This record gives sequence, C-alpha cells and structure tokens, in this order.
Amino acid sequence: MSGLELGHDSARSMRGRVVRVVFAVCAAVSILTTAAILLTLLADAVEFFSAVSPIEFFTGTRWTPTNEPVSFGVLPLVTGTLVITFGSALIALPIGLLTAIYLSEYASGRARSILKPALEVLAGVPTVIYGYLALVYITPAIDALVPVSTFNALSASIVVGIMIIPMVSSISEDAMSAVPDDLRQASYGLGATKFTVSTSVVVPAALSGIVSSFILALSRAIGETMAVTIAAGQTPRLVDLTDPAGVFLESVQTMTAAMVQLGASDVTGQSIAYKSLFAVGLTLFAITFVMNLLSELVASRYREVYR
Amino acid sequence: MAGGTAEPAEPPESAGMTGTEEVSRLRGTLFEAVTLGATVFGLLMVGVLLLYVVNDAVRPLSADPGWHLVFFLTLVVPSLSVAAYCYTREGPAGEVAYATFGLPVVGLLVGAGIVVVFLEVVSVADWFGLALALVAAAGAIELHRRLRPYAALERLAVLIVAPLVAIFGVPALSVDRTLATPLTGTELFTLSFSTPKLLPGVPELFTSLPVLPLDWLLLVVSLTLPVAFAFGRIVSRRREDDRGRLETVAAAGAVALVGALVAPTVGIDAAHWVVLATTTLLPLGVYLEGVVRERAGLAGLWFPVVVVAGTLVGALVVETVGFAGPDPWLDWGFLTSATSRSPADAGIYPALVGSILMLVVIVVSAFPVGVGAAIYLEEYAPNSGPLGTFVTLVEINIGNLAGVPSVVYGLLGLAIFVRTFDLGNGTVIVGGFTVGLLILPIVIISAQEAIRAVPDSLRQASYGMGATQWQTIRNVVLPRALPGTLTGTILALGRAIGETAPLLMIGAAASVRTPPNGFFSRFSAMPRQIYSWSSEIQPEFRYGVLAAGVVTLLVVLLMMNGTAILIRNKYQRES
Repeated sequence: MSGLELGHDSARSMRGRVVRVVFAVCAAVSILTTAAILLTLLADAVEFFSAVSPIEFFTGTRWTPTNEPVSFGVLPLVTGTLVITFGSALIALPIGLLTAIYLSEYASGRARSILKPALEVLAGVPTVIYGYLALVYITPAIDALVPVSTFNALSASIVVGIMIIPMVSSISEDAMSAVPDDLRQASYGLGATKFTVSTSVVVPAALSGIVSSFILALSRAIGETMAVTIAAGQTPRLVDLTDPAGVFLESVQTMTAAMVQLGASDVTGQSIAYKSLFAVGLTLFAITFVMNLLSELVASRYREVYR
Repeated sequence: MAGGTAEPAEPPESAGMTGTEEVSRLRGTLFEAVTLGATVFGLLMVGVLLLYVVNDAVRPLSADPGWHLVFFLTLVVPSLSVAAYCYTREGPAGEVAYATFGLPVVGLLVGAGIVVVFLEVVSVADWFGLALALVAAAGAIELHRRLRPYAALERLAVLIVAPLVAIFGVPALSVDRTLATPLTGTELFTLSFSTPKLLPGVPELFTSLPVLPLDWLLLVVSLTLPVAFAFGRIVSRRREDDRGRLETVAAAGAVALVGALVAPTVGIDAAHWVVLATTTLLPLGVYLEGVVRERAGLAGLWFPVVVVAGTLVGALVVETVGFAGPDPWLDWGFLTSATSRSPADAGIYPALVGSILMLVVIVVSAFPVGVGAAIYLEEYAPNSGPLGTFVTLVEINIGNLAGVPSVVYGLLGLAIFVRTFDLGNGTVIVGGFTVGLLILPIVIISAQEAIRAVPDSLRQASYGMGATQWQTIRNVVLPRALPGTLTGTILALGRAIGETAPLLMIGAAASVRTPPNGFFSRFSAMPRQIYSWSSEIQPEFRYGVLAAGVVTLLVVLLMMNGTAILIRNKYQRES
C-alpha cells in the first residue's frame, strides 16, 4: 500500500486534483445534455426520414400521423406555429418595447424597483396556468364580442404574448440603460424633448439589443407548449390567408402541441408516428437554436460598441 | 404638433426659447402615459384573471355577509393596522413581522411535505436505518482519515465504498461467464459461481431488530436533534459562546419530547408533531431568540399574534352567532383526496405528493451538479489553451440550453431515461431527472453569479494563510455564495414545479388515484393534473376544480418565491 501513501503536500494536491476533476465533470454535464439532445433527436429523425422522404415532410400539407390515410406533412404545424408567433409578437413586441422605454427613460428608481420584479412574475407563472386562463376566461370574453370556436389561436396568442413581454422588456431595457448618457445630454443640448431623445436617440442606439430581445422572445413563443396546447386546440390546419379573420378565430395546432398530442397518445415505440415526434422535435430545436444563436450574435454587437 | 403648449418638456431650462423652437408638451406627456400603460397592461390583465380564478376557487360570495363582517373586524382591520404601524415606523419591525409570519407558514409547508413522504414513501424505521448507515459511513471515513492521513487515493475509494457498503451491504455475488476465442468460438473456460448475501446493510440490520423504538422517538433522534444542532450554530455564533448550540439542542429535544407526549391527547399523531415542531417551531424559536437579543423591531412580533388571535376570535364569534362560511372548491377535502369523475369529490393529493417527490429528486440531482459546474467555471476554469476553449464552449452552451423549449427536454428524457436507461415510463425519478436537466442552466447561472459576487480579497486572504484552493473554496467562497445560490435554486425549483410539457412527453400519468409509493413508481404532478382537468367540459370542473388546482399550484409557487426573497433580503442586509 506504500504506493498509495503520499506525503502531506502531495496528498493535498492529490485531493485538489480529484475535486477539480469532479467539478469539471459537473460542468461537462451541460455539454453532454446538448450532445444528448442532438443525438437522440437525430437518431430517431434519421429513421423517420428513411421511411418518409424529407421532401414529403417539409412540403406536405396534411398532418395525420395516427389517422388513415397517414400523412406527415409538417406545413400545417409550421403555419400554426407561425400564426401564434405572429399574434403574440403583435402584442409582446410593441408592449415590451414601450415598457422598456418607460423603465429606462421615465420611471423613478422606486417605480422601477417595484415594476421590474413584478414583470418577471409574468414570465414565472406556469404556462399550463396561462393555457387555462385563455381557455376558461379569455375565450368566453372574446366570444361575447365575436363568435369564436372553443379552441382558437387568438386567445392563445394573447396569453403567449403576455408571457413573453418580460423577455422583450428586460433585455431591451438593459440595452437602453447601456446607452451612454452623453448621447442623451448632447441631444438635450440641441434642444430635443424627452420624447425625441427616447424615440430618436435611445431606441436607435439600443437597436441591436432590442432586435436581439425580439428574436429571443419569438424563439420563446415558437417553443411555447402548454398554453397553445390547451387554448389553441389540436386541429392541424394549413393557414388559409384568403380568410384572414378565420386564421385567428379558429383552432390551429402548433409543432409543440402536435408533439404533446403524439407524446401523450399511446403510439408504440417502433411506429413511424412515434419517430415523427422526433422529426418535429428536431425541426423545433433547430429553429429555436438558430434563433437563440442569432439573438446572441446581434446582442454581442452592442456590447462591443459601448464599452 | 403646433397646437400644444409652447414649452419644452425637458429639460426645464426654457427661458430663452423663441417661437420658432416651440415644441409640444402634449406629445411627450401622451407618450409617457402610453409607455406607462404598456408597462402595467400585462400585470393588470393577469392580475384580473387571477382574481377571477381565486374567486372561483374560494367562492367568497357564498358566505354570509355577517361572516365577512366579523372577520373584517377581528382579522383584517387589526392586522392591517399593525402592518401599517410597522411599515410607517420604518424600522426593522416590518421585516420581523414578515419573517415571524412567513417562517411558520413555510415551515408548516415543508413539514407537511416531510410528513407526506413518511406517510407514502418511506417508513420512519427505514429512514432511521438510512440515517444510521450514513453515520456509520461517516465514522468509517473519519477513522480512515485519522489512521492514514496521507493516503489520498485510498480515501477516495473509502469515500465511495463506505456509504455504499453501509447502506446496501455486500450483495450476493453471482458470475456465470464463458470465455471463448472470438473467431472459432472454442470455449476456453467457464466461470460460474454464486454466493449467498455476504453482509447485510445497516438499514437491513436495523429493521430486523426484534423490538423497534417508537416512530416519534426515532424522529426526535434522527431529525429534531441534528436540525437543532445545525440551527444551534447560528445561536452560538450570535452569542459568541459554545453553550448556545447545546442549549438549542436541549430546548428542541425537550419541546419535541413534551409535545409528543401531549399531542396524542388532543388527537395529533406524535410523529407528525415531532416533524412539524422541527420545521416550524425550531426556526421560529431561533429567529425570535435573535430578535429579542438584538431588541430590534420587537413591534413586528405583534403581527403574527394579532393574525392568530383575530382568526381564533373571528371563528369563535362566527360559530356562536351561526354565520355560514363560504363553500370553497379549495378546501381540506380537495387537498387530501384523489381525483374523481365527480367534481365534488375530486382532489389533488396524489399529484401534490408526486410534485413533492419530484422536487426531492431535482434537489438531490440538479443542485449539486449545478453548484459543482458553477464552481468549476468560476474558480478552476482556465482562460486559455485547449481547456479554455472548452470552457468558452460550456458557457455559450449553458446560455443556449436555457432557451431550448421544454418540450424538447421531454423528448430527451423520453429517449435517455425511459428508453435507454429503462427507468420506467412516467416514474418519479425520470420526471425529476428530466426537469432537473431543464433547470440545470438556471441553477448554474445563479450559482455562478453568487460565486462571482464573493470579493477576491477574501480568497487572497485565505491563500495568504496557506490554504489550498479547495480549502479556500470550501471554507471561504461557498459559505459566502450559499444564500445567493439558494435564492436562485429556489426560484429555479419554482419553475420546475410548474413544468408540464416534459412530464407529458415522459409519460407521467394523466390521473392517478393513489400517490406514488417510491421513486420508481408512476406519478402525476400538479400541473399534469391541471392539464388533465382542462379537458373536462363540465362547468364544475372548469370553474371549480380547475380553479382550485391552479390556486394550489400558485400558492406553493408563492411560498417558494417568498422564501427565496426572504433569504435574499436577509443576505443583502448582512453583506
């Protein structure tokens, strides 16, 4: 056992090395997670694409994985996702941007210290609860004004829009706060009003941060699952742009909702329908991953400009 | 905008302005109003909707107006006045009021969670056996440290093996292998033997004792006294003597013992009392000791007294006069019964237990890994070289992982934990691991921020005293970073408890009638149950049971976030 017995100092450094390796392994878990996500999605998606051609998957207009005649066209799901994303963006982007302007340019320190955490709460409410609010309270309220179906894209878009407001507002506000005060003072010196300074100086100067927050929020809306599953329903439907009103007033199915439907149903592990789950998942992962990277790229621009 | 008043809105120095430079103040004011409106839009909307939900869940209007009046006079008015008094005094009274009210509530919640675990998952005897095994393992490791202080590799082996042997014993060995040449397949030799179980684990030994002590006694020894010992450290440090710790342990033991003897006479199970007293009275007592010692914010102590007294007096008056209380959907029956086809009988108990067990798995798995990763990235990670690239990669990757849709994590859990490791369809452990992976980036990022906030001068001082890097991290960095890490972790756990999509993908049960009885049994969680209820179309479900479920989930979330804020406030004040 003498080989295992070390001097005092080398025992200490030995322990230091062991500890270091243990922690490095912990850090590697995050890389492993990404690798595992990619591998598992790819493995099953490749099997899926060997049975269903990618052309059929990406250009097909019918999504009926479990009903005869079986068809795996992802377009209805993609357009459904786009409808929700577009609707929620209509709410969240302007409201989030205005919120950021208020917090960064107008709010007093005290108001900001109350409003910022309160807004974060909007993002912290579980999404299943948002879905329930949309289905049980917002849809009947809309129905009183315009007749809508029980499941509709409008109510889902509203709640998804509300839950991504903090994403837009907090990142945009950070970008606006990073705009150097010199720019504002120079503008005031030229006789500009606070309105002009906010809209013509601060917003353009913080544009890259704002754009980055928009992309991130859209990515979040695309990946949002429970609220749209509950409120927008399970009707895979290719969006019919000739009937703009119907687009929002009727049920759609997003990619995420289709995954939930397939995942919760009892399709067996070897069926094509089950593999299609991973093909849709891979599509979703790819879209959100690219958007997140894009957002980071855009954001890193403004960090460099004002340092 | 020539029609507006001729003054610049900002800056106010406008004496020298002439007519050609007139600007509208109206536009600026309108714009500010619009931005403010946008800021509160989402808050108002969600606030109003939640009011509807609470109204549906509690149905306050079903109560007698007299009932409201009585409680308004005995509870609302006095507690509001005390709260207002504490608030205006500006001293630490408000903090004391908040803490003395919040601590027991959070303590009760934690205690109820532990009681549920003892009721449904492990028996007290099993738990005690496990605790004994851990003590035995710690003893073995300590003994090895004393006997052979410099054998680092050996100690690593002991560190890993001792707990395993203590808990599981040495299992039966059984080998049945045939070795053949790879090409021709000629058998070279066959090794085949099996042994009976070599050595039982400590828990097994303990539970095989012919006479086991009473449950509550085991709990006092294995739960109350260790927790009191840990809390006693705070008391000792505050009083700067060593007796504080002893006195805390003695007082906690005495209260637990006396209570356990008295409790059964008023209909409370002695073991439940011990658990609840440990999680509720012990932290409260330690906190009160500090308040009384520092004599700061004593007025705040009136708040919980007034609330409790007001509730009791109100209940007494209502009882004697005969005012009918509300008939809420969210009541004791809802919390303690399983879901059912009829809305009146439906409850959330199995899903509640499922959520608690899932949280246990997440805390045990995601918390250590997240903190470990944060320590590596902040303290050890080099900035250059091939390892430096690895570290940059990890950090970018963590940011990206936080943005991966939760449903994709569900697919990951399904593919890895359910199919590859075969941990079972929709079991607690699969749910915990999957959601744990989901919140791991949040835990890592918050722990990193907490570690980064520890001043570098402390590290330098520690190195100056001759401490190694690991000693510095363990004794200097981690204790200082703990509150921030805890705050971030609790907030992440709040996110975890509301996640639904991953649970759907890994096949958590739509509705279960019995709570899970272990980490490998199929479970349902609160949000999963809410999702199942949302497909029921009866109005009693939509506007009753569902609302009650949503309020239960929100209350649990609120408690967790409240705890996180409490820790953060205390920490910010101290540093």
